[in-house]
Amino acid sequence: MKTLSKICAALRLPSRSRLPAYILLTALGLQAPGLHAELPSPELSHELTRLSTPLPAPDFTLPDMDGEARSLSDYRGKVVMLNFWATWCPPCRREIPSMESIYQDLQKDGFVVLAVNEFESTDHVFAYTGQLSVFPTFPILFDSDSKISQDYDVKGLPTTLLIDKQGKVVYRAVGGRDFDHPAVRDIVRKLLAAD
Amino acid sequence: MRLTHQFGPMALACALTAAVCQATADDSKVEVFTDETSGLLSWKASHPGFSLQFIQLLPDYVRAVFGARGLPAEVVDTMAGYCVFGTIIQNESDAPLSYRVSDWRYITADGQLHPVKTKSQWLKEWEARGVAAFRWLLLPDDQTFAPGDWSQGFTTLQLAPGTAFKLRYQWTLQGKTHEDTFEDLRCAAATKP
Repeated sequence: MKTLSKICAALRLPSRSRLPAYILLTALGLQAPGLHAELPSPELSHELTRLSTPLPAPDFTLPDMDGEARSLSDYRGKVVMLNFWATWCPPCRREIPSMESIYQDLQKDGFVVLAVNEFESTDHVFAYTGQLSVFPTFPILFDSDSKISQDYDVKGLPTTLLIDKQGKVVYRAVGGRDFDHPAVRDIVRKLLAAD
Repeated sequence: MRLTHQFGPMALACALTAAVCQATADDSKVEVFTDETSGLLSWKASHPGFSLQFIQLLPDYVRAVFGARGLPAEVVDTMAGYCVFGTIIQNESDAPLSYRVSDWRYITADGQLHPVKTKSQWLKEWEARGVAAFRWLLLPDDQTFAPGDWSQGFTTLQLAPGTAFKLRYQWTLQGKTHEDTFEDLRCAAATKP
Protein backbone atom coordinates (compact mmCIF):
# COMPACT_ATOMS: atom_id res chain seq x y z
CA MET A 1 0.00 0.00 0.00
CA LYS A 2 2.81 2.34 0.84
CA THR A 3 4.31 2.00 -2.59
CA LEU A 4 1.00 2.31 -4.37
CA SER A 5 0.15 5.38 -2.31
CA LYS A 6 3.33 7.11 -3.35
CA ILE A 7 2.89 6.14 -6.97
CA CYS A 8 -0.63 7.53 -7.02
CA ALA A 9 0.52 10.74 -5.41
CA ALA A 10 3.38 11.15 -7.80
CA LEU A 11 1.39 10.41 -10.91
CA ARG A 12 -1.83 12.20 -9.80
CA LEU A 13 -3.80 9.55 -11.57
CA PRO A 14 -7.17 10.63 -12.97
CA SER A 15 -10.23 9.08 -11.43
CA ARG A 16 -10.99 7.02 -14.54
CA SER A 17 -7.89 4.95 -13.97
CA ARG A 18 -9.08 4.05 -10.49
CA LEU A 19 -12.13 2.01 -11.27
CA PRO A 20 -11.42 -0.61 -8.60
CA ALA A 21 -11.58 2.06 -5.92
CA TYR A 22 -14.89 3.31 -7.25
CA ILE A 23 -16.26 -0.22 -7.21
CA LEU A 24 -15.15 -0.60 -3.61
CA LEU A 25 -16.83 2.64 -2.61
CA THR A 26 -20.02 1.55 -4.31
CA ALA A 27 -19.91 -1.73 -2.45
CA LEU A 28 -19.49 0.16 0.82
CA GLY A 29 -22.56 2.19 0.13
CA LEU A 30 -20.77 5.46 -0.28
CA GLN A 31 -21.59 5.73 -3.94
CA ALA A 32 -25.17 4.54 -3.99
CA PRO A 33 -26.50 5.46 -7.43
CA GLY A 34 -30.11 6.54 -7.42
CA LEU A 35 -30.64 6.20 -3.70
CA HIS A 36 -29.87 9.76 -2.90
CA ALA A 37 -28.35 12.71 -4.67
CA GLU A 38 -25.61 14.73 -3.01
CA LEU A 39 -27.02 17.02 -0.35
CA PRO A 40 -27.45 20.54 -1.73
CA SER A 41 -24.63 21.90 0.40
CA PRO A 42 -23.98 25.62 0.80
CA GLU A 43 -21.23 27.28 -1.16
CA LEU A 44 -17.85 26.99 0.49
CA SER A 45 -17.03 30.24 2.20
CA HIS A 46 -13.56 31.41 3.18
CA GLU A 47 -14.23 32.89 6.61
CA LEU A 48 -12.05 31.71 9.46
CA THR A 49 -12.80 32.74 13.02
CA ARG A 50 -9.90 34.14 14.99
CA LEU A 51 -9.98 32.95 18.57
CA SER A 52 -10.04 35.82 21.01
CA THR A 53 -7.75 33.78 23.25
CA PRO A 54 -5.40 31.35 21.48
CA LEU A 55 -5.59 27.89 23.04
CA PRO A 56 -2.76 25.40 23.42
CA ALA A 57 -3.14 22.62 20.85
CA PRO A 58 -3.07 19.27 22.67
CA ASP A 59 -0.32 17.04 21.33
CA PHE A 60 -1.28 13.71 19.80
CA THR A 61 0.27 10.81 17.95
CA LEU A 62 -1.69 9.07 15.20
CA PRO A 63 -0.83 6.64 12.41
CA ASP A 64 -0.72 7.92 8.86
CA MET A 65 -1.76 6.12 5.67
CA ASP A 66 1.42 4.07 5.75
CA GLY A 67 1.04 3.14 9.40
CA GLU A 68 3.82 5.43 10.56
CA ALA A 69 3.25 7.39 13.75
CA ARG A 70 3.06 11.15 13.42
CA SER A 71 2.81 13.59 16.30
CA LEU A 72 1.59 17.15 16.23
CA SER A 73 4.73 18.11 18.13
CA ASP A 74 6.77 16.94 15.12
CA TYR A 75 5.54 20.09 13.42
CA ARG A 76 6.33 22.62 16.15
CA GLY A 77 7.69 25.77 14.52
CA LYS A 78 5.46 25.28 11.49
CA VAL A 79 1.97 26.60 10.82
CA VAL A 80 -0.42 23.63 10.91
CA MET A 81 -3.84 23.35 9.34
CA LEU A 82 -5.54 20.60 11.34
CA ASN A 83 -8.57 19.33 9.45
CA PHE A 84 -11.05 16.77 10.86
CA TRP A 85 -12.89 14.93 8.11
CA ALA A 86 -14.43 11.72 6.76
CA THR A 87 -15.03 10.36 3.29
CA TRP A 88 -18.83 10.25 3.62
CA CYS A 89 -18.98 13.97 4.48
CA PRO A 90 -19.71 15.99 1.28
CA PRO A 91 -18.17 19.31 2.36
CA CYS A 92 -15.08 17.45 3.58
CA ARG A 93 -14.67 16.04 0.11
CA ARG A 94 -15.28 19.40 -1.53
CA GLU A 95 -12.59 21.21 0.42
CA ILE A 96 -9.82 18.68 -0.23
CA PRO A 97 -8.66 20.23 -3.54
CA SER A 98 -8.31 23.65 -1.92
CA MET A 99 -6.32 22.18 0.96
CA GLU A 100 -4.04 20.44 -1.49
CA SER A 101 -3.56 23.64 -3.47
CA ILE A 102 -2.57 25.81 -0.50
CA TYR A 103 -0.41 23.00 0.86
CA GLN A 104 1.43 22.68 -2.45
CA ASP A 105 2.12 26.41 -2.58
CA LEU A 106 3.08 27.10 1.03
CA GLN A 107 4.66 23.93 2.41
CA LYS A 108 8.10 25.21 1.38
CA ASP A 109 7.53 28.16 3.73
CA GLY A 110 6.73 25.96 6.72
CA PHE A 111 3.04 25.25 6.27
CA VAL A 112 1.59 21.78 6.74
CA VAL A 113 -1.87 20.27 6.44
CA LEU A 114 -2.77 17.35 8.70
CA ALA A 115 -6.07 15.75 7.68
CA VAL A 116 -7.37 13.72 10.60
CA ASN A 117 -9.85 11.13 9.41
CA GLU A 118 -12.57 10.10 11.82
CA PHE A 119 -13.60 6.51 12.44
CA GLU A 120 -12.68 5.03 9.05
CA SER A 121 -10.15 2.40 8.08
CA THR A 122 -6.92 2.98 6.20
CA ASP A 123 -8.09 0.73 3.36
CA HIS A 124 -11.35 2.60 3.05
CA VAL A 125 -9.70 6.03 2.93
CA PHE A 126 -7.03 4.79 0.58
CA ALA A 127 -9.69 3.53 -1.82
CA TYR A 128 -11.48 6.85 -1.56
CA THR A 129 -8.46 9.03 -2.22
CA GLY A 130 -7.60 6.78 -5.13
CA GLN A 131 -10.63 7.96 -7.07
CA LEU A 132 -10.06 11.68 -6.51
CA SER A 133 -8.97 13.83 -9.43
CA VAL A 134 -6.76 15.78 -7.01
CA PHE A 135 -4.79 13.32 -4.91
CA PRO A 136 -3.98 14.71 -1.45
CA THR A 137 -0.24 14.70 -0.82
CA PHE A 138 -0.54 16.09 2.71
CA PRO A 139 -0.50 13.58 5.59
CA ILE A 140 -3.78 11.83 6.36
CA LEU A 141 -3.95 10.59 9.95
CA PHE A 142 -6.38 8.13 11.47
CA ASP A 143 -8.33 9.00 14.62
CA SER A 144 -10.03 5.63 14.67
CA ASP A 145 -11.70 6.05 18.06
CA SER A 146 -12.39 9.81 17.66
CA LYS A 147 -10.41 10.55 20.81
CA ILE A 148 -8.37 13.35 19.28
CA SER A 149 -11.44 15.08 17.88
CA GLN A 150 -12.95 14.98 21.35
CA ASP A 151 -9.80 16.51 22.80
CA TYR A 152 -10.25 19.36 20.34
CA ASP A 153 -13.99 19.64 21.08
CA VAL A 154 -14.94 18.91 17.48
CA LYS A 155 -18.69 18.44 17.20
CA GLY A 156 -19.17 18.22 13.45
CA LEU A 157 -17.26 17.47 10.28
CA PRO A 158 -15.45 19.11 8.74
CA THR A 159 -13.84 21.28 11.38
CA THR A 160 -10.54 22.97 10.68
CA LEU A 161 -8.08 24.66 13.03
CA LEU A 162 -5.05 26.77 12.31
CA ILE A 163 -2.21 26.26 14.76
CA ASP A 164 0.57 28.82 14.94
CA LYS A 165 4.29 28.22 15.25
CA GLN A 166 4.03 28.26 19.02
CA GLY A 167 1.55 25.40 19.00
CA LYS A 168 -1.56 27.44 19.74
CA VAL A 169 -4.91 27.21 18.03
CA VAL A 170 -5.53 30.66 16.60
CA TYR A 171 -8.27 30.17 13.98
CA ARG A 172 -11.24 27.84 13.68
CA ALA A 173 -13.75 27.00 10.96
CA VAL A 174 -16.78 24.72 11.28
CA GLY A 175 -18.13 23.50 7.95
CA GLY A 176 -16.56 23.35 4.51
CA ARG A 177 -14.27 26.12 3.33
CA ASP A 178 -12.36 27.19 0.25
CA PHE A 179 -8.87 27.23 1.68
CA ASP A 180 -7.40 28.33 -1.61
CA HIS A 181 -9.11 31.72 -1.25
CA PRO A 182 -6.74 34.72 -1.10
CA ALA A 183 -8.11 35.70 2.32
CA VAL A 184 -7.13 32.33 3.77
CA ARG A 185 -3.74 32.46 2.12
CA ASP A 186 -3.19 35.90 3.64
CA ILE A 187 -3.96 34.55 7.09
CA VAL A 188 -1.57 31.64 6.66
CA ARG A 189 1.17 33.87 5.27
CA LYS A 190 0.85 36.22 8.24
CA LEU A 191 1.14 33.29 10.62
CA LEU A 192 4.18 32.06 8.71
CA ALA A 193 5.77 35.49 8.90
CA ALA A 194 5.16 35.85 12.63
CA ASP A 195 7.81 34.86 15.14
CA MET B 1 -37.25 21.86 -9.59
CA ARG B 2 -37.88 24.57 -7.02
CA LEU B 3 -41.06 25.83 -5.45
CA THR B 4 -40.62 28.96 -3.44
CA HIS B 5 -42.59 30.43 -0.58
CA GLN B 6 -41.25 33.92 -0.15
CA PHE B 7 -41.96 36.63 2.37
CA GLY B 8 -40.93 40.12 3.38
CA PRO B 9 -39.00 42.00 0.70
CA MET B 10 -39.72 39.17 -1.69
CA ALA B 11 -43.19 40.63 -2.09
CA LEU B 12 -43.11 40.76 -5.86
CA ALA B 13 -42.15 37.13 -6.20
CA CYS B 14 -44.76 36.31 -3.59
CA ALA B 15 -47.43 38.09 -5.56
CA LEU B 16 -46.51 36.03 -8.59
CA THR B 17 -46.94 32.81 -6.64
CA ALA B 18 -49.77 33.91 -4.41
CA ALA B 19 -51.21 30.45 -4.02
CA VAL B 20 -48.25 29.33 -1.93
CA CYS B 21 -47.39 32.52 -0.07
CA GLN B 22 -48.26 33.62 3.41
CA ALA B 23 -47.55 36.95 5.03
CA THR B 24 -45.22 36.85 8.02
CA ALA B 25 -43.83 39.57 10.17
CA ASP B 26 -40.20 38.77 9.53
CA ASP B 27 -38.03 38.53 6.46
CA SER B 28 -38.03 34.82 5.74
CA LYS B 29 -38.82 32.31 3.04
CA VAL B 30 -39.17 28.60 2.50
CA GLU B 31 -38.07 26.90 -0.68
CA VAL B 32 -38.99 23.37 -1.68
CA PHE B 33 -36.75 21.40 -4.03
CA THR B 34 -37.29 18.14 -5.87
CA ASP B 35 -34.21 16.18 -6.81
CA GLU B 36 -34.70 15.34 -10.46
CA THR B 37 -32.74 12.10 -10.21
CA SER B 38 -34.16 10.63 -7.03
CA GLY B 39 -37.50 12.45 -6.79
CA LEU B 40 -36.72 13.20 -3.16
CA LEU B 41 -37.79 16.49 -1.62
CA SER B 42 -35.84 19.01 0.40
CA TRP B 43 -36.91 22.16 2.19
CA LYS B 44 -34.84 25.24 2.93
CA ALA B 45 -35.95 27.89 5.39
CA SER B 46 -34.05 31.14 5.10
CA HIS B 47 -34.18 33.75 7.83
CA PRO B 48 -32.05 36.82 8.35
CA GLY B 49 -28.63 35.39 9.20
CA PHE B 50 -29.79 31.79 9.49
CA SER B 51 -30.83 28.96 7.22
CA LEU B 52 -32.04 25.43 7.86
CA GLN B 53 -32.40 22.65 5.30
CA PHE B 54 -34.23 19.35 5.68
CA ILE B 55 -33.49 16.77 3.00
CA GLN B 56 -35.45 13.53 2.63
CA LEU B 57 -33.41 10.34 2.89
CA LEU B 58 -34.62 6.92 1.82
CA PRO B 59 -34.54 4.10 4.38
CA ASP B 60 -32.27 2.11 2.06
CA TYR B 61 -29.83 5.01 1.93
CA VAL B 62 -29.82 5.28 5.73
CA ARG B 63 -29.28 1.54 5.97
CA ALA B 64 -26.38 1.71 3.50
CA VAL B 65 -24.68 4.63 5.23
CA PHE B 66 -24.92 3.22 8.75
CA GLY B 67 -24.14 -0.29 7.51
CA ALA B 68 -20.94 1.00 5.93
CA ARG B 69 -19.82 2.22 9.36
CA GLY B 70 -19.69 -1.35 10.64
CA LEU B 71 -22.54 -0.93 13.08
CA PRO B 72 -24.48 -4.07 14.11
CA ALA B 73 -27.44 -5.05 11.95
CA GLU B 74 -30.00 -4.29 14.67
CA VAL B 75 -28.64 -0.76 15.05
CA VAL B 76 -28.69 -0.24 11.30
CA ASP B 77 -32.26 -1.54 11.07
CA THR B 78 -33.35 0.69 13.94
CA MET B 79 -31.92 3.76 12.22
CA ALA B 80 -33.51 2.84 8.89
CA GLY B 81 -36.84 2.45 10.69
CA TYR B 82 -36.80 6.12 11.64
CA CYS B 83 -37.76 9.01 9.42
CA VAL B 84 -34.33 10.48 8.71
CA PHE B 85 -33.48 13.81 7.13
CA GLY B 86 -30.17 15.24 6.08
CA THR B 87 -30.04 18.56 7.90
CA ILE B 88 -27.90 21.59 7.13
CA ILE B 89 -27.68 24.59 9.45
CA GLN B 90 -25.81 27.69 8.42
CA ASN B 91 -24.86 30.90 10.17
CA GLU B 92 -25.19 33.57 7.51
CA SER B 93 -24.96 36.45 9.96
CA ASP B 94 -21.97 38.38 11.24
CA ALA B 95 -22.57 37.33 14.85
CA PRO B 96 -22.50 34.07 16.83
CA LEU B 97 -25.52 31.85 16.29
CA SER B 98 -26.59 28.79 18.25
CA TYR B 99 -29.22 26.07 18.23
CA ARG B 100 -30.28 23.14 20.42
CA VAL B 101 -32.04 20.15 18.88
CA SER B 102 -33.74 19.55 22.23
CA ASP B 103 -35.67 22.80 21.68
CA TRP B 104 -37.18 21.51 18.46
CA ARG B 105 -40.56 19.73 18.23
CA TYR B 106 -42.28 17.90 15.42
CA ILE B 107 -46.03 18.14 15.23
CA THR B 108 -48.07 15.23 13.96
CA ALA B 109 -51.47 15.37 12.27
CA ASP B 110 -53.25 14.96 15.61
CA GLY B 111 -51.63 18.18 16.83
CA GLN B 112 -49.34 16.43 19.30
CA LEU B 113 -45.85 17.84 19.86
CA HIS B 114 -42.94 15.40 19.99
CA PRO B 115 -39.29 16.00 20.88
CA VAL B 116 -36.69 15.27 18.22
CA LYS B 117 -34.41 12.43 19.28
CA THR B 118 -30.96 13.87 19.89
CA LYS B 119 -27.55 12.50 19.06
CA SER B 120 -26.77 12.12 22.77
CA GLN B 121 -29.85 9.96 23.19
CA TRP B 122 -28.78 7.74 20.29
CA LEU B 123 -25.23 7.44 21.62
CA LYS B 124 -26.55 6.47 25.04
CA GLU B 125 -28.66 3.73 23.47
CA TRP B 126 -25.77 2.46 21.41
CA GLU B 127 -23.48 2.50 24.40
CA ALA B 128 -25.99 0.39 26.32
CA ARG B 129 -25.82 -2.13 23.45
CA GLY B 130 -22.04 -2.12 23.62
CA VAL B 131 -21.71 -0.40 20.27
CA ALA B 132 -18.70 1.82 19.68
CA ALA B 133 -19.86 5.40 19.69
CA PHE B 134 -19.85 6.40 16.05
CA ARG B 135 -21.07 9.94 16.52
CA TRP B 136 -20.42 11.70 13.28
CA LEU B 137 -23.44 11.13 11.06
CA LEU B 138 -26.01 12.61 13.42
CA LEU B 139 -26.60 16.33 13.80
CA PRO B 140 -24.85 17.59 16.96
CA ASP B 141 -27.21 18.28 19.88
CA ASP B 142 -26.19 21.90 20.02
CA GLN B 143 -23.63 24.15 18.46
CA THR B 144 -22.56 27.76 18.52
CA PHE B 145 -21.47 28.93 15.10
CA ALA B 146 -19.15 31.80 14.36
CA PRO B 147 -19.91 33.83 11.22
CA GLY B 148 -19.53 31.63 8.16
CA ASP B 149 -19.79 28.37 10.10
CA TRP B 150 -22.24 25.68 9.14
CA SER B 151 -22.87 22.06 9.85
CA GLN B 152 -24.77 19.09 8.61
CA GLY B 153 -25.96 15.77 9.98
CA PHE B 154 -28.88 13.41 10.18
CA THR B 155 -32.03 14.29 12.11
CA THR B 156 -34.23 11.39 13.22
CA LEU B 157 -37.97 11.38 13.87
CA GLN B 158 -40.04 8.41 14.98
CA LEU B 159 -42.46 8.52 12.06
CA ALA B 160 -43.48 6.07 9.35
CA PRO B 161 -42.32 6.53 5.75
CA GLY B 162 -44.37 9.11 3.88
CA THR B 163 -45.78 10.75 7.03
CA ALA B 164 -46.56 14.46 6.80
CA PHE B 165 -45.73 16.64 9.79
CA LYS B 166 -44.70 20.11 10.91
CA LEU B 167 -41.43 20.99 12.56
CA ARG B 168 -41.05 23.79 15.06
CA TYR B 169 -37.43 24.91 15.29
CA GLN B 170 -35.52 27.54 17.23
CA TRP B 171 -32.23 29.35 16.92
CA THR B 172 -30.53 32.08 18.90
CA LEU B 173 -28.80 35.01 17.29
CA GLN B 174 -27.23 37.89 19.19
CA GLY B 175 -28.88 36.73 22.39
CA LYS B 176 -32.39 36.63 20.93
CA THR B 177 -34.15 33.33 20.45
CA HIS B 178 -36.22 32.97 17.30
CA GLU B 179 -38.77 30.34 16.39
CA ASP B 180 -40.49 29.26 13.20
CA THR B 181 -42.23 26.23 11.75
CA PHE B 182 -41.85 24.13 8.65
CA GLU B 183 -45.51 23.68 7.80
CA ASP B 184 -45.45 20.77 5.40
CA LEU B 185 -42.51 18.43 5.78
CA ARG B 186 -42.90 14.81 4.77
CA CYS B 187 -40.80 11.73 5.48
CA ALA B 188 -39.36 9.99 2.45
CA ALA B 189 -41.37 7.11 1.08
CA ALA B 190 -40.30 3.57 1.95
CA THR B 191 -38.81 3.20 -1.52
CA LYS B 192 -37.63 5.50 -4.26
CA PRO B 193 -40.53 7.57 -5.68
